[in-house]
Amino acid sequence: MKKTEINSILKVFVTDLLFWTYFFGCVYYLIHHWSGLILNTVIVVIAGFSFTIIFSALGISIGRTVHLPTEKTKLKWYKTFWAWSFIAILFLTLMVGWNMVGVNPYKFFTKFGNARGIMTGLFNPNIDIIGICLSALAETIYLALLATLFAIPFAFVLSFFAARNLMPKTLLGNTVYLVIRTIATLFRSIEAIVWAIIFSVWVGIGPFAGMLALMVHSIAALTKLYSEQLENIDDGPVEAITATGASTLQVWIFAIIPQIISPYLAFTIYRWDINVRMATIVGFVGGGGIGLLLLQQQQLLRWQNVGLIIWMIAAVVWIMDMTSAKVREKLLEK
Amino acid sequence: MKNVIEINDLHKFYDKGSHALKGINLNVGEGEFCILLGLSGSGKSTLLRCLNKLIDSTSGEIRICDEDVIKASGKTLRFIRRQIGMIFQQFNLIKNLTVLTNVLSGKLGFVSLVHSVTFSYHQADIEAAMENLKRVGLEKFAFKKVKNLSGGQQQRVAIARALMQNPSVILADEPVASLDPATADNVMKYLGELNKKDNITVICSLHFLSLARKYGSRVVALKDGVVVFEGKPCEIDEKKFKEIYGEEAEEVEIR
Repeated sequence: MKKTEINSILKVFVTDLLFWTYFFGCVYYLIHHWSGLILNTVIVVIAGFSFTIIFSALGISIGRTVHLPTEKTKLKWYKTFWAWSFIAILFLTLMVGWNMVGVNPYKFFTKFGNARGIMTGLFNPNIDIIGICLSALAETIYLALLATLFAIPFAFVLSFFAARNLMPKTLLGNTVYLVIRTIATLFRSIEAIVWAIIFSVWVGIGPFAGMLALMVHSIAALTKLYSEQLENIDDGPVEAITATGASTLQVWIFAIIPQIISPYLAFTIYRWDINVRMATIVGFVGGGGIGLLLLQQQQLLRWQNVGLIIWMIAAVVWIMDMTSAKVREKLLEK
Repeated sequence: MKNVIEINDLHKFYDKGSHALKGINLNVGEGEFCILLGLSGSGKSTLLRCLNKLIDSTSGEIRICDEDVIKASGKTLRFIRRQIGMIFQQFNLIKNLTVLTNVLSGKLGFVSLVHSVTFSYHQADIEAAMENLKRVGLEKFAFKKVKNLSGGQQQRVAIARALMQNPSVILADEPVASLDPATADNVMKYLGELNKKDNITVICSLHFLSLARKYGSRVVALKDGVVVFEGKPCEIDEKKFKEIYGEEAEEVEIR
């Protein structure tokens, strides 16, 4: 048997197994939720496995529909196993989700009174604390700015090593590329809020911890954006400048950097914009700035102060968003 | 006549296994205007890029101005490259920089790294750049951005950039293929003038036979990586033409 055949049989089997295991997993959750019955969870796997075998033997398989789309039949949709299993899975998923999340429309419509404090606060903000509020906001904006600025040189250098077209196709080149790409992806997938928890323990609660958190996240994000920009450059000028007898470094400076400088600036401004928004959240877990102030006022139940803070955050985010969009548009003009 | 370019038994295999050049033997003398003809994929671009080692050759020998190109690396290679100007189909200019900066980049092989990093040029280089722009009739555009220029103007900027190298050879890879016929003739006229007045040897790949007849002093035709014709432009008759471009081809006359 050919390798591709074994491969596709395996794919079909795994898909079927996942389908049936998920199906029985949902059924088990619902039975457990409603009747409190506790069974050994191995039974889910056994049921999934045996149904896969039985239905495959009967010639009914989801995997085959997914992976071998050439086997088309002319049946009406409601006569196909595929359609009914899709409906069943969708229904089961909704049921499980509803119960797990604890969706409760009754509470939503009847308990509005609980939020009266914050709502009145929102419409009667306490102007008296505007001084404290502004200084906390400045802290947030500056920490976001520094996080962005400090991230630039790291991301700039790293991006060249994370660009496929600039790395030589040797073992070393590929390894460097893969390592930098993987680390960047990993660091980016860890939310800034997690970094803030780490750094607030490391250097103490305050804006410095918030800045470090955003910086790490920005380096990872900018490295990815920058290197993608590098991968999209026009190779023509690179070829032309090389042909003049320029050295590799001269080629980078003359043929590559002029092509990437405005998109780099645009991405960086966009990043600052994101960082200001993130800085608020990061403040909540010990990153200082307006987020920390918001947390304190909320815990003291000073709803009028909370109201003012929320309005000010909204204003800053709105202004940043508008200006950064304008500046980016100008930079990316062709 | 002294040979400026000597190519012996040149082979090029690409990584994917295609055999692009199958033993090219070719000598080009000083001051020749050599036209490369052939279908797309016949190996013209590969041959031109092997000549200044933008592509590594697989085997054979290339000598330009008595320097071994294939063995050259580092400083020697840069020294060889700066004697060879190159012009491309897509102009390959840096579009968001000024015309003058683009022309000056032709001098990069001559200036130190520090000078190029700080974007500071010798006054003499700037004067030479303006002089070369004048030659191609674009001195008024020196401080405009390249992206605001038309295709024909951009190709003339590329010629001025090549001139900055004071080259003894110019390689032109389909320099007029993305221009309209009138502009194409205009650009070819500048190349012809450099060939005549400055005695620069030109190797130029083309698709128009009319332009080949008008400007070429010799024609070399490639087919599947082999030289199938070599001679004077006027020697290409209908039979030769069909040999080069295949039985079904008809000559299109664009004047």
